[in-house]
Amino acid sequence: MTASVTEPLTPVPVGPVPGDPGPVRANRLRHALLHGRGRVGVVLVGLVLLLGVLGPLLAPYGPTEQIQGANLVGPGAGHWLGTDELNRDILSRTLYGIRVDLVVVFAAVPVGAALGVLLGLVTSWWPVTDVIAQRAFDLLLAFPALILGILITAFLGPGVFTVAVVIVAIELPVFGRLVRTSVRTVREMPFVEASQVVGATPWWVLRKHVLPNSLEPLTVQLAVSMSVAVFVEGAMSFLGLGVRPPHPSLGSLIKDGVRLLHEAPFFAAGPLTIVVALVLGLLLISQSLAEARRA
Amino acid sequence: MTRYLLSRLGSALLVTALASVGIFALIRLVPGDPVSVLAGPDATAESRAAIRAELGLDRPFWSQYVHWIGDLARLDLGPSYKLGGDVGSLISDGALNTVVLTLFALVLAAAGAIVASTAAVVWDKRWLNSLLSAVNTAAVAVPTFATALVLVLVFAVRFPVLPAGGTPPAGFFSQPDIALQYLILPGLALALPAWAALTRFLTESLRTELRQPYVTTARALGIPRRRIVLTQALRNALPATVTVLGLQLGSLLGGAILVEAVFAWPGLGRLVEQGISSRDYPVVQVLLLLSVVVFVLTQLVGDLIHAWLDPRVRLNGVS
Repeated sequence: MTASVTEPLTPVPVGPVPGDPGPVRANRLRHALLHGRGRVGVVLVGLVLLLGVLGPLLAPYGPTEQIQGANLVGPGAGHWLGTDELNRDILSRTLYGIRVDLVVVFAAVPVGAALGVLLGLVTSWWPVTDVIAQRAFDLLLAFPALILGILITAFLGPGVFTVAVVIVAIELPVFGRLVRTSVRTVREMPFVEASQVVGATPWWVLRKHVLPNSLEPLTVQLAVSMSVAVFVEGAMSFLGLGVRPPHPSLGSLIKDGVRLLHEAPFFAAGPLTIVVALVLGLLLISQSLAEARRA
Repeated sequence: MTRYLLSRLGSALLVTALASVGIFALIRLVPGDPVSVLAGPDATAESRAAIRAELGLDRPFWSQYVHWIGDLARLDLGPSYKLGGDVGSLISDGALNTVVLTLFALVLAAAGAIVASTAAVVWDKRWLNSLLSAVNTAAVAVPTFATALVLVLVFAVRFPVLPAGGTPPAGFFSQPDIALQYLILPGLALALPAWAALTRFLTESLRTELRQPYVTTARALGIPRRRIVLTQALRNALPATVTVLGLQLGSLLGGAILVEAVFAWPGLGRLVEQGISSRDYPVVQVLLLLSVVVFVLTQLVGDLIHAWLDPRVRLNGVS
């Protein structure tokens, strides 16, 4: 007996469904990422990603290793980006610091986005859950990101995990609301009504019609949210809520660097370049995706 | 319009009421106890119980909550636990500093955005567009605290032309010229990202407006492009921009925390930070509620202005 016989019957759309995204649109987004501004963005983000992943192999010293007699040395052959006031190699610290931002950008943001999308999809189908969820999202959005950060740090104490939790809390309502807009528009379409007539369940409609239709705005928002996350990490480290002192993050390095800008103007240059490259790359990606969507 | 107004007002009140309960509960869940902060490490059990009773923390949750709402309604917030002084005056002092700074930044950002985007659209020169796009991207891609610190180092340390931080000693209103000197650097640092977002949005809206049929008609009638942009396209592009401005106000208040930290600006951001770290419940819960109220109000005002400027929003009913 073949497996397909025991499978429950599900409604299958016949032929192209009007209003549903065809393969053409997916190609358009991919095209935007491989050409022009989008490609520059992908290259920039890819470069930072590579530096972060290969960090431990590339770094000449440990992230907290103190080198004798190298106090605030300028950039040179031994130390490409110089050393800090505690005799640590800035290049090594920057390479390790990137990893914190990578966790925040490529783990925390997607987790927050996925949770937000899931909650938004499921709750917006029924009026009662919709009202409850949307008011809850409003409530979360009502706190400025950093106040939320300070509040969550009061519960969890400073650290990378806390920064990740803060990012999830910031992004969850953003994606929840975005998905809700899609649900509202798509469920009014005639093809959704038609599929309900042939017996489609809410879950099936959400999965097959709503989600594909909201993928484009979600991708654009994902890129924007990732660049916001880099700033939130930086700001939290700057206020002393992020990574704990001996360990580096891009935010804490920039903070130290700018504090010593007078004595050691080279200090902030490396980490600041990485942050700008990362944010710029993500912005270019989001811009090119948004443009491809409108075209 | 009345129906639209009432429905928006109702939803705003609901969010605020829910927020007040949520904040009150949340603050009491934060690990660490104001009693141990106040009593010190080697206080006896009796003295701790006495402090607890004096602060009213021994009563049940709802009784404390109702009491607090009553105090709020009478605007009598009582003394703070730790920071010293009356909660009301602590907050109003901080609020004045933050509001002046935020409004200054908002005006800078809005004025800058209108000038930059109309210039870009009216002249439509290639070099101008590239320049604006580059400055815009730079303003978004460099973190606020880095811009703020660089501004201090350049204009206050290297070339000491402006004060490095603090608020004007004589207040904001008695000597406006001196107050302005104190406001310029923090205001610029705060305004830059908002300016970038607004300029990008407004330029895009103006370009969209210029593709509309009514512009073609106006051009056919011989009205110069500059006049069309200034008198018609700008007016049609502004409603949506006001909504974006409202959203920017929220992020400005968030950014104010960072800028206040860099410029030693005694505003609400610093108060939140100090309040939470010293478990000063009366200060923190009012501040958090205040941030919710500001958010809800800006959303409300933004929606209403939008409805007033664009009749389709209010005629299509409640969304």
